[in-house]
Amino acid sequence: MEVQIVADVIEIQAKALNFYYAGNVHSLKQVNVPAHKSAVTALIGPSGCGKTTLLRCFNRMHDLYPKNRYEGEIIFEGRNILSNDVDVIKLRSDIGMVFQKPTPFPMTIFDNIAYGLKLKGITKRSELSERVEKALKNAALWDEAKDKLNVSAYDLSGGQQQRLVIARALAVEPHVLLFDEPTSALDPISTGKIEELLVQLKNSVTIIIVTHNMQQAARISDWTGFMMLGELIEFDRTDKMFTAPSEKLTEDYITGRFG
Amino acid sequence: MNIDQKRRIESVAALTLSTLAALAGMFWLVFILGDVLVRGIGALTPSLFLNDPTPPGVIGGGLRNAFIGQLMIIGSATLIGVPIGILGGTFLAEYARGTRLARSISILADIMVSVPAIVVGTFIYAILVKPVGHFNGWAGAAALAVIMIPVVLRTTEDMLSLVPWTLREAAFALGAPYYKVIIQVVYRGAATGILTGILLSIARVAGEAAPLLFTSFNNSFLSTDMRQPIASLTTTIFQYAMGPYEEWHIQAWGASFVITVFILLITIAGRLIIKWRYK
Repeated sequence: MEVQIVADVIEIQAKALNFYYAGNVHSLKQVNVPAHKSAVTALIGPSGCGKTTLLRCFNRMHDLYPKNRYEGEIIFEGRNILSNDVDVIKLRSDIGMVFQKPTPFPMTIFDNIAYGLKLKGITKRSELSERVEKALKNAALWDEAKDKLNVSAYDLSGGQQQRLVIARALAVEPHVLLFDEPTSALDPISTGKIEELLVQLKNSVTIIIVTHNMQQAARISDWTGFMMLGELIEFDRTDKMFTAPSEKLTEDYITGRFG
Repeated sequence: MNIDQKRRIESVAALTLSTLAALAGMFWLVFILGDVLVRGIGALTPSLFLNDPTPPGVIGGGLRNAFIGQLMIIGSATLIGVPIGILGGTFLAEYARGTRLARSISILADIMVSVPAIVVGTFIYAILVKPVGHFNGWAGAAALAVIMIPVVLRTTEDMLSLVPWTLREAAFALGAPYYKVIIQVVYRGAATGILTGILLSIARVAGEAAPLLFTSFNNSFLSTDMRQPIASLTTTIFQYAMGPYEEWHIQAWGASFVITVFILLITIAGRLIIKWRYK
């Protein structure tokens, strides 16, 4: 196991978080999950356990749909981001998100990555080029994409598109990146590349990833939270969770007795 | 006769009847288009496009006034109808998505698409011709715009709804406000579909005569003043085809030819865009 030099600092933390979908479906119950700085935190659990729901609380994606309701707190940069006076648009540029299926915009590779930068008010061509290149390099896509920056993003393969989307999210230099099953639509080789990338990225950005794949959680994460029926059953260091879980339920899930 | 033979006979009968029906439909279509083509092409002289009408019996007249008027009316109708249609469709697909209001407007727009054009013409007559006191070009443009709006609105709504929702979420996740998500991401994703809708709506109104008879009426002279009666190809075809003079008939054929080819080209362009989009 690698030695953590940085003292554990919590970047973002859900505290006694409850979440209700429209019509009062109580989907998260008193959830406490911290995400440590410069670490990968994985959320695992059977389908419908609320892990994606939790992930989408961190950038308040649920606000897009009517009548969704949060209770409790998510502390980020010293304040509760669930409070009404938070600028959600600004929040989302600090906390990026990558989805299950690649979501390239219908524009060129360059414009895809410049999109978030332009939203931030960066318009100088030279600065845009510089930061697009940096983001593509950080997402390990530069070598494949540098000669076709002005080609439609749809011309890339699925795995490349997903790295493009990661590059796009990285370009705005977020503090936290949320990944919602980012490899479930990809082939094994692309999956391997993305996993490798996530491990590299954690030094510059805090990562929270929802995954169906327990081996993936074990491979890439430092911390793991196991959820079931909207509750957090256990949260611990990944190596401990997968070798000596404290809860019987966690052990049953990890050893494949259900789920 | 066993069941197998019975089926075979039924199959042959169905095939024969449907083929005959298709041929009967095609026959009239080809007949009409062919007739317009054959008779129209002979009427296409430079004079038709370059000169204004002359009194019957005086040779060398043309329909320059009607060509220009037609373009002005269709152009104005497009400028009025397309933005309203696109913005309305955006409202239905984005801001009011899934609400009862959106569904009601959609259904009303569907009904509007099939309202007879002459009804629209009389309606515009009541609000834009009667109060003004005389026929005018703007009323014609407004009538055509009213016909275009539901077409553009429904296509826009459908095309925007086809843009995957995750694409919007991805833009939101980068910190984009909703109006930027719509303009910069959703419109781009739906651009070809919306453009097709616009082209087809232009094709839909380009051949309308009835609403123009009540609104922009006609004008034997070249006029570009939209506040006054203005000539159009369709009303001119109506007038000339009903008239007693042979040279009027020839010019009406020429005008029919031009307008048919215009609509044909727009429709083909629309189809090509769809094909290109979904290839």
